[in-house]
Amino acid sequence: MRVIETILAVIIIVIAFSFTNIMATSPKSPSYEPSDLERLGYDALYNLDRQEILAKFVYSSNFSLLKSALMVCLPTDVNFNLTIFDVDKDGKLQKEGSITYGDNTLFETSNFVSTVTYILAGSGTEYDPRILVLMLVRR
Amino acid sequence: MNPVYDHIIAILVVGAIFVWAVALMPNVNLVNLKTVEQQQDRNIALNVFNNMLLDTGYPQDWGSCMIDFNSSAVKRFGLASASESSLYKLDPDKVQRLNKNNPLGYLKYDEARALLNLTDYEFCLRIIPPFNVTNENGTKIDDTHTPLIFADPPTNSVLRYTIKVTYLDGSPIPNALVEGYVFYSKNKDFDLRPVQNTTTNALGICSEQMTLTLQNPDYVIVVLKITVAEVATILLTMGKDASIYVADINMVGDTIILTKAKNPSNEDVKINEVYVYTSNGTLFSLYNGTNQDHFNTGSGQHMLWDKTFDGLKYRDPVALIFDFEAVTDRRREVIVAGPYRDILSYNIFDYGGNIGNAKSAVKIQRSVAIAGLIYTAELWLWKGYS
Repeated sequence: MRVIETILAVIIIVIAFSFTNIMATSPKSPSYEPSDLERLGYDALYNLDRQEILAKFVYSSNFSLLKSALMVCLPTDVNFNLTIFDVDKDGKLQKEGSITYGDNTLFETSNFVSTVTYILAGSGTEYDPRILVLMLVRR
Repeated sequence: MNPVYDHIIAILVVGAIFVWAVALMPNVNLVNLKTVEQQQDRNIALNVFNNMLLDTGYPQDWGSCMIDFNSSAVKRFGLASASESSLYKLDPDKVQRLNKNNPLGYLKYDEARALLNLTDYEFCLRIIPPFNVTNENGTKIDDTHTPLIFADPPTNSVLRYTIKVTYLDGSPIPNALVEGYVFYSKNKDFDLRPVQNTTTNALGICSEQMTLTLQNPDYVIVVLKITVAEVATILLTMGKDASIYVADINMVGDTIILTKAKNPSNEDVKINEVYVYTSNGTLFSLYNGTNQDHFNTGSGQHMLWDKTFDGLKYRDPVALIFDFEAVTDRRREVIVAGPYRDILSYNIFDYGGNIGNAKSAVKIQRSVAIAGLIYTAELWLWKGYS
């Protein structure tokens, strides 16, 4: 009888331990990845903006050079998709262009896609905003 | 059943289950423990990287407040520029203090680790250029593998360079703009001229030749600025490195300092002229030497000569070219270039521990600007103590 009691007691203790382990949901480590990519993407756009490269290519619609500039500023294992929107008189967004580096399907299949929104106020003194949406994913 | 046997069996069963639990429970917890540990490492890496790139450290100008560097004066570690309000702009003087070949002193890895409170961790900071510039065959450009050759031996008045420009993944970059200057000397004569602007072909290769006014020059230095989509890197290459027996060029803040050469030749040297090549590709004459600007390479102090030029650092100089007049048995012109050859160039710069020692490491990357040029800064952090 004591054997059965002991086994039952132990089973209850083991189940309790296992339950707490299963229910303890610590955040998955890779969930840090999107925020890290966001910072990386923002830094790249910010540095290009500081060097007056970003506005030059965006306002002249020179998207091939913009793609090259982003390629050299971002690590080689990062794929990106940049969409540029113009804001019309009614405040609506009009897509002006888009550039992609890497496999487009990765943006649909990956669980860790980061998105950075960067706003350019204008070129020179004229207010002519463009909204840049940069999506990043690691290969 | 006899109660004694009942107790014995119960004890055995409890013992067996205890042993099983001791063996199994840590494994059940291991995944959670590893996840927590990874998160901890990532958080530490993020904090350390933010301290490195966004903090100026203390003193705020610790890279340039003392010419002969004393690492014990550094109370807090950070590489951000104190004179700039924008983020991720690093101070070239501080970055140079991470270079163990800096003749004016550097911050040792263990000291940096102590300043960052990384007692149980090791790190490696890498500064990576935006793209690769190599010899045509893909080999690294250095003193023994130079892209310069004379196209018309034995006259040697037509100099040709051939370089290859690739993305960091190895794919070629077409239409990269290559511009720059060539400096050369022969006996008592010195000359410099711009290199014809050219672009790389579909294979990322570009070759250009230039006719020199002096035949068979003794010393040749070529400074090239390679630009891909307005993002530039600087290549400084030479036929023969004269700095090893004349002087090393250093820059701390606005002060240029010449230090003793690695293999001094015991020559009387006069500074004729100093040129500055900036990160935006302009060349200007900084200084014309006077009779006071003399030193001897073989005797005297470690610091052979120094001069402060107000506002020099603000102009983002990436190469200083010295035209020396050296005299042993005869007078001759010697040209030497510096100072950022180990760091701010086409090379990857590493500071810290050996990544190969890490079982598992956290890697974080950021885009940074140093002296007007864009780089990728990469931090590797792992548990361990060397």
